[in-house]
Amino acid sequence: MKKLGILPKVYLAAVFVILYAPIFYLIYYSFNSGDGMSNFESFTLDHYQAVFQDTRLLIIVLNTVIIALLSALLSTTIGVMGALTIYFMKNKSARQAVLSLNNILIVSPDVIIGASFLILFTLIGVKLGFASVLISHIAFSIPIVVIMVLPKLLEMSTTLIDAARDLGASRKDILTRVILPYIKPGIFAGFFLALTYSLDDFAVTFFVTGNGFSTLSVEIYSMARTGITLTINALSGLIFLLTIILVLGYYIIGNKAKSPQGVKK
Amino acid sequence: MKGLINSAFVILLVSGLLLFANYQLEHKAGSAGKDTITVYNWGEYIDPDLLKQFEEQEGIKVIYETFDSNEGMMGKIEQGGTAYDVTVPSEYAVQMMEEKDLLLPLDFSKIPNVQHIDPYFMNLPFDPDNQYSIPYFWGTVGIAYNASLLEGQTFESWESLWDASLRQKLILVDSAREVIGISLNSLGYSLNSTSLQELKQATDKLETMGPNVKAVIGDEVTQLMINNEASVALTWSGQAADMISENDDINYIVPNEGSNLWFDNIVIPKTSTNVEGAYKFINFMLDPEVAAQNAEYVGYSTPNTAALSFMDEDITSDERFYPDEEARKNLEVYENLGLETLGVYNELFLKFKMGLR
Repeated sequence: MKKLGILPKVYLAAVFVILYAPIFYLIYYSFNSGDGMSNFESFTLDHYQAVFQDTRLLIIVLNTVIIALLSALLSTTIGVMGALTIYFMKNKSARQAVLSLNNILIVSPDVIIGASFLILFTLIGVKLGFASVLISHIAFSIPIVVIMVLPKLLEMSTTLIDAARDLGASRKDILTRVILPYIKPGIFAGFFLALTYSLDDFAVTFFVTGNGFSTLSVEIYSMARTGITLTINALSGLIFLLTIILVLGYYIIGNKAKSPQGVKK
Repeated sequence: MKGLINSAFVILLVSGLLLFANYQLEHKAGSAGKDTITVYNWGEYIDPDLLKQFEEQEGIKVIYETFDSNEGMMGKIEQGGTAYDVTVPSEYAVQMMEEKDLLLPLDFSKIPNVQHIDPYFMNLPFDPDNQYSIPYFWGTVGIAYNASLLEGQTFESWESLWDASLRQKLILVDSAREVIGISLNSLGYSLNSTSLQELKQATDKLETMGPNVKAVIGDEVTQLMINNEASVALTWSGQAADMISENDDINYIVPNEGSNLWFDNIVIPKTSTNVEGAYKFINFMLDPEVAAQNAEYVGYSTPNTAALSFMDEDITSDERFYPDEEARKNLEVYENLGLETLGVYNELFLKFKMGLR
């Protein structure tokens, strides 16, 4: 690999500084003993303590994470099946139509999706709360998963399937031993994208929360009217730290799997 | 394939653990009986300790939810699907909710503490006889300014906002009625004007303010003022109080020609499933000591006269936030102007914003 010149290095560094500066600025003030982001008075951990004492906030954080994990898991499962169905469709124009319908859902505004869900849920009598939020998050994540998995499928050489069939693999074997391992990176990419979409979605979630069930994005938006307290800075810092740990963990596991001992079965 | 199934299993396990933790937390939070009420309020608009106090005192668990705009709140209540027992709309929203038949009339015999509310704030045009609502907090619209960045202006009149020395210094709130309102006020017209001619005159005058306007924004203004990045802002009294507590150079004034007096009000929506609990909650919030604690936490002005004696004198004697009756005479409460006139306001405001450079 060619070594990077000095200019690209500077450019890269600048990009990272711009991306991370706001986050570090926010975390820096979470240690502020004053009660604003205007001047730093002295170091304190009070705001972190406040996060763990505020049960309502903790419940909301847990809700947010549970919804994100479950909706990402379920939407990945459904999305992968959807992508496979689209891939194996014989009729070209039907396939194109389904794919377009999928893409329309990706570009349609969140507000409209949220409002439609609210109307649907009240129409069929689903109580707003955990279930309604989960269902709507699954719904808006499925198209994203499909769009992440499909390119991997299309990239896969068809001779791979033919070869497996020639060697006597059953339909189930082809799916579980050839196709799924091949598209695994796409599946994980879809899962993580669905996870982040669910974590930070405000517009859809606002419409479908209720009965004491709320998520972090909705809560922080409501707080904005009277100014966001440094407790939120502390909480953001903790979530950022957790994300880094998760990404590092994923990276380490990924590297291990690639090492010679861990040959895929 | 095995890897995928394992991953899925791990995720399920983690979610299960989190659900368990959540269950534990919720159990710890709501120790009270099976009676519950759902309160729908603005973000950061109540002292959380008071909720606990209410739960212990009455044995009713409070499910607390927040919203960030009157319109969003009304939308959810209108659609149903969740049973809110108490909510806190602004004055024009009370009127709209009443017209849409979303509110229950109040039975004052169940709210004895209503006697502590200043009679001045009762029986207002948006809800005559307080049939549906009781004021929760109130405030004004005025000018926040940073004296150290200016040349001695004091903004006793709205006219001073047109002063040429303020070129590119003024920040306006992104809200049609407030901004057109200052122009109406400066011309001596009512804030609830529906006359097209008056509105036209007001926007024509507003356009000449153009060169002074630095930005038209929302809540970000608080931080800009605190950081000395802006010197003059049209804002609400509560926001101004936040600025003042952070930056001593900032002052707040309501110009002499008059201004808007706003209210957020407690109401019981028709969706309520525990009306008795809602009455208990309202009566609790109107208790003088509770109201005082709440007002000190939230920072807005309380309409509860009896509460004032429990509060820090520095707060209650501050005429910028508790103007005396004489000063209040000039203040006007918004009325619901109907969709059509509201559309005219919005359109004129949009035109003004587009004309800005």
